[in-house]
Amino acid sequence: MITTLIGNYPKIAEGAYGTRLIGTISRWQRQEITDEELEQVYQDITRAILQEQEQAGIDLLTDGQIRWEDIVTPIARRLDGFEVNGLTRWFNNNVYYRRPILHRAPVRQGPILVQEYQFARSCTTRPVKAVLPGPYTVMAVSEDRYYKNPRRFVRRMAEILNEEARDLAAAGAPVIQFDDPAIGFGWPGGRHSSKAKTTDMKLALEGLQIATRGVKTKTAVVTYFGALNGRLSQLLNAPVDIIGVDVVSSPTTLAALKKLRRIPKALALGCLDARNTKLESVKDLRAVFRIASKLVPPDHLYVNPNCGLEFLPHRQALAKVQRLAEAARAFKES
Amino acid sequence: MLLTTSVGSLPKPEYLMTARSQARKGSLDPKQLRALEEQATREWITTQEQLGIDIIVDGEQYRGDMVAYFAEHLAGFQQSELVRSYGNRYYRKPIIVGKVGRPRPVTVDWWRFAQALTTRPVKGMLTGPYTIMDWSFNEFYPSRRAATLAIAKVVREEAKALEQAGAQYIQVDEPAISTRPEEMDLAIEALGIVTRGLRAKTITHICYGDFETIGPKLHRLPVDQIDLEFANRDFELLSFFKGRRFPKEVGLGIVDVHTHQIESVEDAANGLRKALKVFKPDQIYVDPDCGLKTRTPEEAIGKLRVVVEATQAVRAELANGRRSGLRTPSAARTAA
Ligand SMILES: [Zn+2]
Repeated sequence: MITTLIGNYPKIAEGAYGTRLIGTISRWQRQEITDEELEQVYQDITRAILQEQEQAGIDLLTDGQIRWEDIVTPIARRLDGFEVNGLTRWFNNNVYYRRPILHRAPVRQGPILVQEYQFARSCTTRPVKAVLPGPYTVMAVSEDRYYKNPRRFVRRMAEILNEEARDLAAAGAPVIQFDDPAIGFGWPGGRHSSKAKTTDMKLALEGLQIATRGVKTKTAVVTYFGALNGRLSQLLNAPVDIIGVDVVSSPTTLAALKKLRRIPKALALGCLDARNTKLESVKDLRAVFRIASKLVPPDHLYVNPNCGLEFLPHRQALAKVQRLAEAARAFKES
Repeated sequence: MLLTTSVGSLPKPEYLMTARSQARKGSLDPKQLRALEEQATREWITTQEQLGIDIIVDGEQYRGDMVAYFAEHLAGFQQSELVRSYGNRYYRKPIIVGKVGRPRPVTVDWWRFAQALTTRPVKGMLTGPYTIMDWSFNEFYPSRRAATLAIAKVVREEAKALEQAGAQYIQVDEPAISTRPEEMDLAIEALGIVTRGLRAKTITHICYGDFETIGPKLHRLPVDQIDLEFANRDFELLSFFKGRRFPKEVGLGIVDVHTHQIESVEDAANGLRKALKVFKPDQIYVDPDCGLKTRTPEEAIGKLRVVVEATQAVRAELANGRRSGLRTPSAARTAA
């Protein structure tokens, strides 16, 4: 059983690495400090976050996405073709992001995350995964004024993300994870669907197929924020090695997992609530681990919070990280 | 007819901003802060009277975040460390750690203070139970539903106390109501607990809405009046109401609160004229789109002045129209 985190982590920590990022970014925005000075602070905090995970006993680490406001705009900002625009709600959270608008065919002008990845990797001896948005989710949270066609948009984004994934694999990433919350949550969906949120599973999987093509390392898709509502079996066919499922946001997902037999893939079990401060008990976590351990062999079972931990204050985020490691140890010993 | 009002918050003057930050650092004692909050409240009430606003607000000079304010004054809540809201902005999100309760009134003293300063009605301003739940962490109640209903009982006590103190208008804001369509019925149920049996006129303001989701359920919101932003959507929202008989009063936002620029009286009046093709005159209350706290005091006054002048212009037209209406041939025929 492998313990891991999804991606983002609190950027400030009143009881640990401090709140100086807030002032640093403000000063950088006012051009009072240089890019290098900002970068130095980003690196210090990234190192502290990797250390926290190490000390807690997490097996597969993430860099905490300190430079990221969300999972989509850091990519959109560095591609040609997008304009990053007004504040919009991030799925059903009281958190906002700037919605990217596609004006021209998107073009990747070079590696986007490779340098950041290499830095994170240099901070620790443990494996660090690389995280990218899924192509379907990029489409779902953006406004497409160019293709005006979800499929063409998803396919083009998938090609771009594939180039990035190949570069990250070459940089040594042992796992490349595509975050696809729009699969779980549903795509509130453009002009056509005014009613229920729908997910075009076929298109989401087609995007992942292109994004993972020829990537010479393990690949993962993680879904969160919603119920999979009958889409679980389709998701299990995704062309990736690891399937991430959020069993916290909706009780129906765990019920659906219980009904399955063995899964031919690895499973990433999102089993701690990263959107509420209430700390899970070791006992409750072990019960969920037990269900999942019937579906995959131990080396194919990843356990993690249901989504990034940045929705939580640092103290509670760290407590969840420690509890995850503690529950995993207890489970292995039992 | 066409009474004017505000949605709730008004900007804090510079001296109060400074004082609040000093108070946070401990270099200003609470009594001194309170005196400045009272001064700012007094100034805003005078300003609203001078502008000719009919239904006054206290301007929430003593409140920060609309959920945190209630969490700080109710039992059962704790303040968290900072969490990010967007970009480089952080806030302290309340955590429900125990049974939610109301050891003492929260807003009643301030309401009394404000009402004593004016003969015009002052609105009581509350945050709704669903929004308080959605914008807090919950470590105590077994579910989001249980937390929402527990908060509803407490907000209800506050609403009742405002009514007993004499409030004729009580506004209960639910900006989070459209966040999770699957919980909208819960939000409606909770709001119903707050407003049930109140004799005061009840209002709810809704913004940031996914209107497709919320629209069909608007008429079920258990309040007398629904206040919506129309100006920042170029009055497109009116098309939703066209052709249906909407059974409630409507608070009609006719100036955008997100722009620095002050609208012209003519543009604002045109918006109101459009609305009169959809709603009856005695169904409409006129105000800015949302709370004005993010504007400068000068911008806020400018925008409120536009609300009043545009409304006066349209009221005059309606009055003239009525008189001339009696002289039209068809009216004459009916009379004969
Ligand atoms: Zn509003």
